[in-house]
Amino acid sequence: MDNIVASFAERRTDFVIKLLLVGIAVFWLMPFVVIFLTAIRSQGDMIRNGIFSWPEELRWDNFVAAWDTGRFNIYFRNSLFLILVKVPLGLLIASLAAYPLAKMKFRGSDTVFILFLVGLAVPIQVTLQPLLIMMSSLGIANTLWALIPPYLAFGLPFQIFVMRGFFRILPNELIEAARMDGASETSIFFRIMLPLSLPPLATLAIIDTLATWNEFLIALVLISANSSRTVPIGLMQFQGQYQSQFTLLMAGVLISIIPVLLIFLFLQRYFVAGLAGSVKG
Amino acid sequence: MTLAETTATRPRVRRRSAAAERARRFAAIRPWLFLAPALLVYGGFLVLPMLFTLYTSFYSWDGISPLANMTWVGLENYVRAFTADTVARRAFVNNLFWTAGAVIIPTIIGLFLAIALNGVAAVNRALRTIYYAPAVLPLVAVGLIWGWMYNPNFGAVNLFLREIGLGHWAGGWLSSHTMALPATFITFVWSSVGFPMILYLAGLQTIPRELYEAARIDGASRWHCFRFITLPGLVETHVIVLSLAVINGFKVFDLIYTMTYGGPGRSTHVLGTWMYFQAFQFHNAGYGAALAWIIAAIVLVVAVPYIRRMSRS
Repeated sequence: MDNIVASFAERRTDFVIKLLLVGIAVFWLMPFVVIFLTAIRSQGDMIRNGIFSWPEELRWDNFVAAWDTGRFNIYFRNSLFLILVKVPLGLLIASLAAYPLAKMKFRGSDTVFILFLVGLAVPIQVTLQPLLIMMSSLGIANTLWALIPPYLAFGLPFQIFVMRGFFRILPNELIEAARMDGASETSIFFRIMLPLSLPPLATLAIIDTLATWNEFLIALVLISANSSRTVPIGLMQFQGQYQSQFTLLMAGVLISIIPVLLIFLFLQRYFVAGLAGSVKG
Repeated sequence: MTLAETTATRPRVRRRSAAAERARRFAAIRPWLFLAPALLVYGGFLVLPMLFTLYTSFYSWDGISPLANMTWVGLENYVRAFTADTVARRAFVNNLFWTAGAVIIPTIIGLFLAIALNGVAAVNRALRTIYYAPAVLPLVAVGLIWGWMYNPNFGAVNLFLREIGLGHWAGGWLSSHTMALPATFITFVWSSVGFPMILYLAGLQTIPRELYEAARIDGASRWHCFRFITLPGLVETHVIVLSLAVINGFKVFDLIYTMTYGGPGRSTHVLGTWMYFQAFQFHNAGYGAALAWIIAAIVLVVAVPYIRRMSRS
């Protein structure tokens, strides 16, 4: 339809738009090209020839050196541990809370829901100092366990919002039929609601995995021991030590972003659809 | 009904009603049992710390010594933030500029990309992937990548400028009082246009195609279609995109911290980083708490329409 009535002027606009799109895409890709071309050459090569030339010699061993000297094995292990504990636990707690908010009528349900939504806007800064004190008094300061409660708390608002929205569109007949058969609410939740919610749970798990991998400010304040550093904190530390070793530094940066890039490239369908759909409600 | 009958049935009736009462009471607390873990975590590690921060914002305290050593100062911390502390004022102005930029630039680019890349063609999908990819990176990595791009001697930006004969423009981007914040903001645009793009793409799917077809038959130009169908059709999305832009504009921390560390000469601080410096570097916990609550108050007020929109869906 559009093509039939498209005038010459409109086709010219189309061409300009396409040109613009490709132009911006090149600009958007450039930083990735730059860090790659920096990370695979020697420092001397980079200084002599600049980063836009092809390396005199490919130095893949930069990655090994960065991994070892940056002690990325510790940071990767810590971030993975956090993801494996925090993500499933957070999704369980959020789903448990979303179920009554979506499917039960009780006084105060709207208030509780709005209370959770307010968390979407709360800046992390306003909780940091008390969190630091709380973790010391709980005896888990400077350990990975200190990060789990605040990560859970800040993840809940969005997850409860998404799960409540999803539970609401599940037919009530399912629940009523199960109640008729004498199923308890707990078994309705675990045997009916959760298994039907795998698509939003998968999306939230991906989003939460990325968020946990990337989180910086809470870890910056609560973690100072090297053995408990997560990837972003470790990366900052690494930058502090090798500030002028650009090739090594960019190899470290690449190491730290490869996991999130892979997750994004392979799972983006769930990820992007979920982000958009959930915010649209 | 005789007296005998009544007394004979009464205990049974009473027992049944007691069971019903128990069931009713259980039904009343059941939702709260499901909510309990979330409320505990959220209350204990988000709401409670927030309130405690509000409390400490009225005290002078170093954040380390016991709570008994806190000194009540009333509103002094807030007064200081708005009057005596020139860095805080600069940080606030920086937040305003940053937020204004964040409301306009990524939103317009994101809307343009969404309209241009709407559709299932492979090219569109590939381009969307490219534009969104920076948004999934840790901001620390983004900051380090662009710190390297802006490097005065070997960075890609200056290298490129020299290559195309604009070498006199090359400079120390992040060490310049005038350029450090705009340069950091460009990094922010790079890392953030994907998000409004995705939201607008989702919004576009809710506008019926027939509207466009009817308008085209009536001879409407594409500009008119955009102006009178697309833009009004996206009004719900605008609320979300713009609210999030303002909310995140006042929360900004990671990029400033990793790229400029507030420098040069504290000129690029925002409230988020200045609060961090006050509370955790200079150990002015009370003052830091006040700064934190200034951010929180601004953001929470701005978030009202956003939260209202979310709670209605």
